[in-house]
Amino acid sequence: MTALERRYRRLLLAYPRKYRAAHGDELLDVLLESAAPGRSFPELRETWGLLLGGVRSRIIHQARGSAWADGLHLGVTAVAVANLAVLLPYAGSLPLWTALSALALLATLRGWVRTAIPLTGVVAVKAVALAGGWQALGITLLPVSPSALTHQMLFQFGSPLTVATGYTVVVSGLLALAWRRRPVRARSWWWWAVVVAAAWAGPSWMPDDTTYPLSLSRVAVEIAVCGLAVMGAYLARDLRWALASGLYLLVTSAELVLHKEELTRQHLAYWGLLILLTLACAFAPFRQRRHCLD
Amino acid sequence: MPRGTSEVSEPMYFVLAALRAGPLHGHAISKSIKELSGGRVQPSVGTLYGILERLNERGVITVDREETVNGRNRRYFRITDEGAALVEAEARRMQEAASLVLRPSGA
Repeated sequence: MTALERRYRRLLLAYPRKYRAAHGDELLDVLLESAAPGRSFPELRETWGLLLGGVRSRIIHQARGSAWADGLHLGVTAVAVANLAVLLPYAGSLPLWTALSALALLATLRGWVRTAIPLTGVVAVKAVALAGGWQALGITLLPVSPSALTHQMLFQFGSPLTVATGYTVVVSGLLALAWRRRPVRARSWWWWAVVVAAAWAGPSWMPDDTTYPLSLSRVAVEIAVCGLAVMGAYLARDLRWALASGLYLLVTSAELVLHKEELTRQHLAYWGLLILLTLACAFAPFRQRRHCLD
Repeated sequence: MPRGTSEVSEPMYFVLAALRAGPLHGHAISKSIKELSGGRVQPSVGTLYGILERLNERGVITVDREETVNGRNRRYFRITDEGAALVEAEARRMQEAASLVLRPSGA
């Protein structure tokens, strides 16, 4: 295998596994035939074309089945990721509850709805109790100390109401999916990478005297994921991404409303950007067609 | 260009134009597009296959046959009757639009 072929194979990973299995070799054949003799690095335009083509193919591949059920599952997954990200920095102090939350996310991601409901429910009871300073399902020493991922105490800026909102959205969504009695599709393993990025407090970027700091890495990953959702809505002309973004926005807004007295310009910009991206997801499917095959 | 008409994008137009000559595989389509457009339109392989998949899904082109060359699968694409009608309508539309500008003055 030449260096060029190896590099093209790596770029083809942008495409869904199923597409690669069916047509990966065909694309590779055309790429190698089109390459100038002696070339060992892919051309920039071919690299860009493969990355864009791969993302587009993945998005089109996702836009199948019931839009509302899939959008609901996607939104529930995003909120479940955020719920685990809150607990992850405290895994050393709360190993059982972090593990249960991770299992709940695993069940949600794999589409095992009936397993995810009790797991999420039991973690919800404990999390709401911890946010309220109450003892439930075992004694926990409060406040819960952080790890290297953050320097804040657990739920230092949360309240039982906002924590309950997140878990209620997840449990309600899972119940609706269970009621439907149809198989739920498994979602990407990339969501685990989002958990770690959202759990990290990130580099310091707000003034030291900010009473309610935002995690820069979490903001960045949220904007990136919402950006992909807009791209999905635009390319597939489908409302599932709007539903998912709307659910996530609901949970995030509940927390921001609770801290309305402490919001800075950065908070408002962040909130505004999330609203804007959610609206873009809602309107993108109705964009004008550029041509009859668009 | 007016919106909401039956127009196709330029790379799609050249893909359909290339396939009017007969079934072709990906690399041959790419070379034909380059020749037909005088080197002006050269979609990357990722873009070309995105177009081919979409045209195939909409029934404008179809897979004529598959062959294995050097151990790799190769699809030959063929234009359908619907595709031929579409590209001809687009050519007529462009011809009419061009004639507005290119016809001799006073004619």
